[in-house]
Amino acid sequence: MNYNFRVQVLVAALVLPMSVLTAYAVSDGAPERLASVESFASIPDEATRSAAIFTEFGKVLTHPRCMNCHPTSDRPRQGDARRLHQPPVWRGADGYGLPAMRCPICHTKANFDPAGVPGNPIWHLAPLEMGWQDRTLGQICEQIKDPARNGGRSLEALIEHIREEPLVSWAWAPGYGRQPAPGTQHQAGDLIEAWVKTGAVCPN
Amino acid sequence: MTTLTVTINGRTYAPRDVRDELTMNDFLREYLGMTGTKFGCGVAQCLSCAIIVDDPDGTSYTSPTCIVPAINFNGKSIRTVEGHAKNGELSPLQKAFIEHFSFQCGYCTAGFVNEGQVLLERLAKKPVPRTDLEKTIAEALDGHLCRCTGYVKYHEAIRAVILADPDRYLS
Repeated sequence: MNYNFRVQVLVAALVLPMSVLTAYAVSDGAPERLASVESFASIPDEATRSAAIFTEFGKVLTHPRCMNCHPTSDRPRQGDARRLHQPPVWRGADGYGLPAMRCPICHTKANFDPAGVPGNPIWHLAPLEMGWQDRTLGQICEQIKDPARNGGRSLEALIEHIREEPLVSWAWAPGYGRQPAPGTQHQAGDLIEAWVKTGAVCPN
Repeated sequence: MTTLTVTINGRTYAPRDVRDELTMNDFLREYLGMTGTKFGCGVAQCLSCAIIVDDPDGTSYTSPTCIVPAINFNGKSIRTVEGHAKNGELSPLQKAFIEHFSFQCGYCTAGFVNEGQVLLERLAKKPVPRTDLEKTIAEALDGHLCRCTGYVKYHEAIRAVILADPDRYLS
């Protein structure tokens, strides 16, 4: 075995396990991307373009980072696998949990990576009427256009919610071991704004 | 590093610098030697690590310590299982746990003592009808895991303390 070959074997022996371990530690997969608003310009029909833009934005809405706390039951889910939250917790009267197990007791103001616990100052469940789980993207679309089921927001307020809301921002900085929502918050804001400007048409 | 000041069982501990990554469980057990608070599952699923947090408004709640950073308790007043007995005498709840053989290995007991105590204090301020009592106790203990004696004997012990003083706890 010549010197160069031995070096190559040594480097491979070191790099391969390290890369495997690194991939395991960070996430189960690479973060998803979002298509830009401009990439939909080739769709001539505005309504079709609007629905296509929402379909792209739907990658965010249906991602575990968003969906886990928009349940259609009283129990949140957790993790990329969307399993039921452990320990068992329930919505409670205000979405912050039952008196004996309030969300902020464990979910502090910031992610606590040593224990793998996500955090945000207003960690809580979305109201039941804003639940998305097990619904089609078209159903979710109609839902978030309806102020009775979107927290009383106008379409303009919806854009601001996606662009500015701190708890929404968390989806792109979810801490150790959790895959972030696709793309960036800025891209998601651009998509929802473009969807509104093209008539807020929902996909079938 | 963050400077942590915390009051535990009525005693305010001198400010000390702790790592932001330090859990409250490690702070209690390893820094202060208060090993009554257990480390069980490490992911807040068994609640053997639960302690009581006393808010300034007079309300109290339990919190796991295994997944919560110590600095989250900065400026707060907490109670651990070491703080229940007064002058060497166990609290009524602790006595009831013994009388009802509520625990065997005892690893989960500190969490149950703290949760039960919070429930008693909550009922003393806001009593419930007798018809709601079983559900109220069950909901309060929900989430605490016990692998020895089960849950019935803890439940029965708490119920016994409440029924021994119905004017205080029941509406």
